[in-house]
Amino acid sequence: MRKVAIVGIGHTVFGNLSDFDLVDIMGFASANALEDAGILKDRKIIDQVFVANMGGGIINHQTGIASALVSRIDLEPAMAELVENGPASGASAVKLGYMAIASGMVDVVMVTGGELMRTVTGWKGTDFVATLQHPEAEYNYGLTLPAFGGMFTRMYMEKYGLTERELAMVAVKDHENGAKNPFAHVQIPCTLEAIHDSENAHVINNYIAEPLRLYGMCPVSDGAATLILCAADSPKMKYFGRKEPIYISGIGAATDTHCVHNRKEPLILNAVRISAERAFSMAGLTPSDISFAELHDAFVILELAISEDVGFFERGGARAAIINGTTRIDGSLPINTSGGLKSKGHPLGATGVSQIFELVKQLRGEAEKGRQVKNPKHGMAVNFGGFGNNVVSTICSKE
Amino acid sequence: MIDFSMYEQKEPEVNAYKCPECGTLYYPAPMICHNCDARRDPSGVIFPEWEKVPFGGKCKLLTWTRVYALPEGYDIKYLLFGIVQFENGLRASGRLLADDPETGMELFGRAGVIKEKDGKDIYGFMFDMPE
Repeated sequence: MRKVAIVGIGHTVFGNLSDFDLVDIMGFASANALEDAGILKDRKIIDQVFVANMGGGIINHQTGIASALVSRIDLEPAMAELVENGPASGASAVKLGYMAIASGMVDVVMVTGGELMRTVTGWKGTDFVATLQHPEAEYNYGLTLPAFGGMFTRMYMEKYGLTERELAMVAVKDHENGAKNPFAHVQIPCTLEAIHDSENAHVINNYIAEPLRLYGMCPVSDGAATLILCAADSPKMKYFGRKEPIYISGIGAATDTHCVHNRKEPLILNAVRISAERAFSMAGLTPSDISFAELHDAFVILELAISEDVGFFERGGARAAIINGTTRIDGSLPINTSGGLKSKGHPLGATGVSQIFELVKQLRGEAEKGRQVKNPKHGMAVNFGGFGNNVVSTICSKE
Repeated sequence: MIDFSMYEQKEPEVNAYKCPECGTLYYPAPMICHNCDARRDPSGVIFPEWEKVPFGGKCKLLTWTRVYALPEGYDIKYLLFGIVQFENGLRASGRLLADDPETGMELFGRAGVIKEKDGKDIYGFMFDMPE
């Protein structure tokens, strides 16, 4: 297979962008990436565009989004398709971009993920996300993704002795990083005193899906992110001398049962485990080679559980890692250096692309002061679709 | 002849589906048996539709949550949800009616109205204290 380089990255701020148009925010991130790659004027060298989005057809009443984006940024006649894989749409689109180049079909791909969710009420948004569940055995009950997050959290706490205070420590760590990320939705640090220890903490950190509280959940965000990929052996690489190329060294995906209750071991996230194994196998790396990671913490428990299923810690061992500071920015394995979904936000279709944007930023050494990992070589992103029924793991490397 | 009665909810039951070849029970129904690869045909035209087996009764609560942020259409403060395991080994997610749930507690699963859609009652599992 051909080696694939990431040669340009772009991002919008995550937050409430409901005054804007979905394709405009995608176009803004895309133009940022064209600029970063140094090909704004030569943008027609892009052969293929993949757009990641989950809810445009439902909540924005818009279809044909990939074609619209190409036209909005004057990229015709590039090929363009939409990729929908729930909250893992972003990394799936990157995976398809990788495959298109690695197969030899094209040389240059632009991947843009975006979502505009705050144009509808929270109730409508929650309902829209819940449509990815089994219609008869889950959705009809009023079950939501936070409900599964709550039930998963309870199982984990009861099995491994994790406390609400330790869960709050994950949020504090993520907000500490997110506060230094200019693209983050919630750029406000929080303290354990405020969200757990104080006798009034429950007022600002109330239960959403017991035992998960407000600070155990990501915000509902709008935003977009873009990557530009190029075959490392292509003559078109000459256009991209402006920034250091970062390489996709491993990419793997896996699925699990649609219904959460049909998993034999509900605490084992099989799709995470297998997608990571596939990515490590492709890269010829092991978990101990990873310098830092972006893990899909839509609920803070997922940061801990994913870090175990990927192989960074033994089962139940992520609890010690958060207590010991292992996953802090100055720890031996920083996790969610961007602030994660918890602080940076979670515009569904954008998230997987944004995670890899962060890997590139860190590997280039371009992260903001106070959240740059020291001399990273390999970064890993895990983008989690459904409640773990479709997961994509991506490893990026400096060489 | 097309049997339009399949679109009507007939009785307040939650059904498991039984593979006609090996007898494995499923909830909800798959299209291919995981155990013996037998196919299911919901129309019953090419293959016989699998037998519907009403299930419920005694079950054990595996995990639960109380959700305050509900989706559109639920005009109440919170709902309780749980995942249970029945005595026949099947598991299901559903509405939890027990006031003070605890993981591992014995419950009783029965069909109840979980939603109204287009003027029709939709039935699903309610997990309550055993009588």
